[in-house]
Amino acid sequence: MSYGYTGKILHVNLTTSEITVEEPEEQFYRTYMGGSAMGMHYVLKETPVGVEPLSPENVLALCTGVVTGTPISGQSRLTSVAKSPLTGCIGDAQGGGYFPAEMKFSGFDAVIIKGKSPKPVYLWMHHGEAELRDAGHLWGLTTGDAEDKLKEELEDKRIEVLQIGPAGENLVRFAALISMSNRANGRTGMGAVMGSKNLKAVVVRGKQKPTIADPERFKELQKLGKTNLEPTGMDSFGKYGTPEVTSPQNKSGGLPTYNFNSGTFDKHEEINGITLYNEHLRGHERDEQNRFGRDTCFSCSIKCKRVSQIDEGPYKTEAKYGGPEYETLATFGSYCGISNMDAIIHANALCNMYGMDTISCGATISWAMECWAEGKLTSEDTGGIELKYGSAEAMVKMTEMIAKREGFGKILAEGSQKASEIIGRGTEDYLITSKGQEAPAHMPQVKRSLSVIYAANPFGADHESSEHDPAYKAYPERMEQIGLTNPQEKLALNEEMMRFAMVTQHLSSAVDSLSVCAFIFGASFQLYDADKLVEVVNAVTGWDTDMTEILAVGERRLNMLRAFNSREGIGRESDTLPKKMFKRPLEGGRSDGYSLDEKEWEAALEDYYRLCDWDVKTGHPSLKKMDSLGLGWVVAENEALSQVVT
Amino acid sequence: MKINIELMGSLVDYLPDSERGQSVLILKDESTIADLLSHLKIKRRVIVAVNGDEEKGLEYVLSEGDEVLVFTVISGG
Repeated sequence: MSYGYTGKILHVNLTTSEITVEEPEEQFYRTYMGGSAMGMHYVLKETPVGVEPLSPENVLALCTGVVTGTPISGQSRLTSVAKSPLTGCIGDAQGGGYFPAEMKFSGFDAVIIKGKSPKPVYLWMHHGEAELRDAGHLWGLTTGDAEDKLKEELEDKRIEVLQIGPAGENLVRFAALISMSNRANGRTGMGAVMGSKNLKAVVVRGKQKPTIADPERFKELQKLGKTNLEPTGMDSFGKYGTPEVTSPQNKSGGLPTYNFNSGTFDKHEEINGITLYNEHLRGHERDEQNRFGRDTCFSCSIKCKRVSQIDEGPYKTEAKYGGPEYETLATFGSYCGISNMDAIIHANALCNMYGMDTISCGATISWAMECWAEGKLTSEDTGGIELKYGSAEAMVKMTEMIAKREGFGKILAEGSQKASEIIGRGTEDYLITSKGQEAPAHMPQVKRSLSVIYAANPFGADHESSEHDPAYKAYPERMEQIGLTNPQEKLALNEEMMRFAMVTQHLSSAVDSLSVCAFIFGASFQLYDADKLVEVVNAVTGWDTDMTEILAVGERRLNMLRAFNSREGIGRESDTLPKKMFKRPLEGGRSDGYSLDEKEWEAALEDYYRLCDWDVKTGHPSLKKMDSLGLGWVVAENEALSQVVT
Repeated sequence: MKINIELMGSLVDYLPDSERGQSVLILKDESTIADLLSHLKIKRRVIVAVNGDEEKGLEYVLSEGDEVLVFTVISGG
């Protein structure tokens, strides 16, 4: 009997409409545990080398993990993997809400999608069955409207929907997958991949609750979630959500401002978590934000999600499209020099309505604003829109034009790196991308281990792939659980900080494979520490796993992502940072004058490769490493990979 | 003695709303960082910087006019 997981993987070929069910052995689940690692197993097996990301041959995997759907905080997450149309590398994005748990209840752990339907369809997975249904009437609808129609059509208000919006249909390269009309598998353009397949939505419903191997121990772990709330500060994280970090980031000189040219925004208080909570969450007029302005994921006690509503004016916004996270407040706010909270709330809602990643969207606009400020773009390019820093009106207008691929929005819909290739004129100097993915709102000049993670991460610049520098010193007893006992001075970029980066990356990678929440399980501020993550897995599955095995799952997944890039011919030459991080010192605030030293950074990157057992010259994983992780088959089954992995 | 305190992020809730996280506190002479946190009823894990220095331990004795910044480490988004 399987505990935690259903034991069923759904395979859907949209070209032929063939649907099959695979029932892997327990060892398969123990090896990958779900999420990104499980998805990569199929992507590596079934995607041809050199596949065009928006072609039918690209394989899209949507995977839960072995603890998804059990009643404990932080387990309802789903990971999507496929080759990314934004970066040309592997793509990977996580999202939460109620969809992941409901997908498990529908009787399936994962769905692997290939091919392209001749006409728009949606996949209806319910009570252990699955079918493709016509979605012609849904194509072109916003996420909110499509979800309403599906609930009506299926006569069930409790269905959960993971879908693309018009941006995914229009193949915007940073289109997202959206559930609940406000939760996003945001990064790397997974929405464009789904759009290219004419798949509008995956709809799930079921009652198959996962069985728990050790209910007594599980209950104790559930209770710990409550008693840990105050000591970890996760109670106030719930109250203010991720936006609580906005002003602390600013204070440390790490709030990206004016397209990463400064780490300090003089109007940070207008866009921080306190202001959002006090003045912009639904119900704030009656001091009832906790009831009406916060939302949560399946079985999670934190309630960190924001809900805003604007009843009138140019930024009128419906509550069903949620509210902005810290990343969104930064990318549409400080990146663009904008402090108009209503405009940011509205831009966030547009991204959720049309289905786009708020990080890449806001950062692509901030790149265009810097190009405008430098005279590289004019109103001739933009169709008369003045893309000035600080212009909330231009930012909101451009967000909508990107989703619809209208006017200049058609170029920005390619993402900033491809847009700079189209425009030329030296606009590449202002990019803030790694592997073509726009940098999230944490600054490598200030938290320096991130400089190597942003560059070397197989799916581009990412802030959730490792712990950030200050955590090493701040959480010594939690770091010790994963063997990190030697915290370094602030701004250090040495071998020990690379070990910190790599080991915490392995843990984060395990978190993304188990497909659990990075705010609930981890090695620093989270509700549960890394040891408790191991205990939750054991209590649910009945396994006897330990920290070594969990970290190996994370390392396995990281090497699978890396190997995907290697077989595409992508190695060390793609592990780069934006030029400006080396050449342009930050201006103002506590990080005034900060930049990265190229030689010191290259040395750190090589330390990181050595620690990972990746070839320093090529950046490819070694055969020895692949073998030791049980990934010899990945090399053996792929000629292109066997030529570069030695 | 008087010290200047600034509480960042969600820690603003440990001071009255009107102070928006910034205040001048009067503490007994020779109060330590631990005494200060206890005075504010802060039980959660925080980082304390005294005059910009984050390396002082909980037993560090504060002085008149110290600038104390209290913040948390949350790295998500």
